[in-house]
Amino acid sequence: MASRPGLRSIAAASTSASRTFAPRFVPPTSRSFASTHPASRPTTTTNDTSDRPTSFGFETVTESEKRERVAGVFSSVADSYDRMNDMMSLGVHRLWKDHYVSSLNPGYTPPGQAARPQHILDIAGGTGDIAFRHLHTAHVLNRNPDVRVTISDINPDMLEVGKKRSSILPASQQAALSFLQANAEDLTGKVADNSMDLYTVAFGIRNFSNMPAALQEAHRVLKPGGVFACLEFSKVGNALLDSVYKRWSFGAIPMIGHLVAGDRDSYQYLVESIENFPSQEDFRQLILDAGFGVAGQGYEDLTGGIAAIHRGIKPLA
Amino acid sequence: MHPPTPSSGALRRLGTQRWTTAAKTSRQCAAIHMTTRATVPSTKQTLPSHAVRAAVAAPSSPTLPTVTQTAQRRTFHSTDHPPPPGPFGATESALLAAAYQHVPEHGFSSAALAFGARDAGFPDISTSVLPDGEFGLIRWHLELRKAELAGRAEEMFVGEGKGKEYKIPEKIEMLIWERLTGNKEVIGQWQQALAIMASPTNVPVSIKHLAELADEIVYLSGDKAVDPSWYSSRAGVSAIYASTELFMTSDKSEGFTDTRQFLRRRMEEARGVKGALGNVGQWVGFSAMGALNVARSWGVRV
Repeated sequence: MASRPGLRSIAAASTSASRTFAPRFVPPTSRSFASTHPASRPTTTTNDTSDRPTSFGFETVTESEKRERVAGVFSSVADSYDRMNDMMSLGVHRLWKDHYVSSLNPGYTPPGQAARPQHILDIAGGTGDIAFRHLHTAHVLNRNPDVRVTISDINPDMLEVGKKRSSILPASQQAALSFLQANAEDLTGKVADNSMDLYTVAFGIRNFSNMPAALQEAHRVLKPGGVFACLEFSKVGNALLDSVYKRWSFGAIPMIGHLVAGDRDSYQYLVESIENFPSQEDFRQLILDAGFGVAGQGYEDLTGGIAAIHRGIKPLA
Repeated sequence: MHPPTPSSGALRRLGTQRWTTAAKTSRQCAAIHMTTRATVPSTKQTLPSHAVRAAVAAPSSPTLPTVTQTAQRRTFHSTDHPPPPGPFGATESALLAAAYQHVPEHGFSSAALAFGARDAGFPDISTSVLPDGEFGLIRWHLELRKAELAGRAEEMFVGEGKGKEYKIPEKIEMLIWERLTGNKEVIGQWQQALAIMASPTNVPVSIKHLAELADEIVYLSGDKAVDPSWYSSRAGVSAIYASTELFMTSDKSEGFTDTRQFLRRRMEEARGVKGALGNVGQWVGFSAMGALNVARSWGVRV
């Protein structure tokens, strides 16, 4: 019988979540993210849209302010990022990332044919999680040593973590790795047109101030036939799973952030930004609008839609 | 497969002259019955019959109607509206069509996909955009061969009405055989393909496709019945097609004559079963009516 009140409260949560969800979780507008390191903030690059409104969690801020605040969040979580990911997703993020990279299969060469070089741009790849997996799949599993990965991140603190962690890789893989500090919405001068085989962004694109601009840049830097791939939190289809998941993300994750990383606000931002991210269909539309083509339904749900993989291809000519 | 409950408009049309003449004159109507989901690439207007014939004559350039945006869905069949787009996007079609040329040698595999991508001028990474890899290649084969069937039906039944008459079971048998010959080119790889189709994640799509194929065959045979036989005919065709297809993968005879005979035996059995079922039904109805009359004769008010 003890389970009954529990079940009832879940049911109540699922109904109330749909009706009164937003007001219950709107943070006070006066809240500031005090835990940032102002010294390590990148110098704000101004482009024409920098004073346009965009979302920061459930708040509305200007695009340039979002850029600064996101930089603050990731500067403050950089060191504990992987530990936190494990605790928040109960280790599942590793499975998602493994599946993501193996489904892209970088470096694959048809049997008996000469391997061709590939260049992968790993956007928002600061800690190197995705890049190291790409290198392993390409160099070790597909035996194609001509696959290079460029890790790009707007945040120097995250890149530092990646550089530190890359020192345990084999020398050949380290040689194929390069780092780039850049804003993914404007890669002009840093990444050439039509130069990349694969543009990958994992758990990063929801932090961008201007997603359409970033997608345009992705389209610009990819070769014709190049693939845009994105792994990101998404919308859960099943209502029961969704209510449990919302309870977990809004109840437990800021708490874990508070206890483990000593930084509640950053993790509060993470869950709010996940909630604000467009649904699978809406994001697919953004990808199509940027000029990519999709195959099939264009996305693949992971764990009931908690995360989703989107793929697009730049058409030939 | 949905139950045969078309909208009242569609039902009304079914009974009218218009439907029957439309169906008679347009056997190129590959389109499926009123309930098939509209993502099926109906060859009706998209692939004019000459295009279908070209695809049959020159299997080196197979084509399917493509969809560039999100697939539209229509829950009914119509011969009056333009057909819905096919299930494959433009780039997807280019990749799959090129890869399909390598299937006889490399099977339904990522190797075939990679060779195809190189042929079509794509970088090696391009194939990773396909959501289901080699199963996508299998779906390409299935959709392509199904789409060809309508044009072939038109050719096969061309003499009908001019002294030559086919019965519906005969036409079904001819259509099943025609569809099976579409597997000839890849028959060496087809056991592998069936294994991929039978893997748990692919089973729903595979079964759906079998149902659509059965629907197509029954429709093209001219069977327009909307009574419980709607189900039994499609179930029967599905079972016969699936078993014959499996038999064909291990058939070593010249021109697959063993498979042809296997198919004929299955069709005869189906006829026997249908007759037996009909007799049982008649007997049950007769007995029930008799029992009712006996009860009435005893004065029971029924």
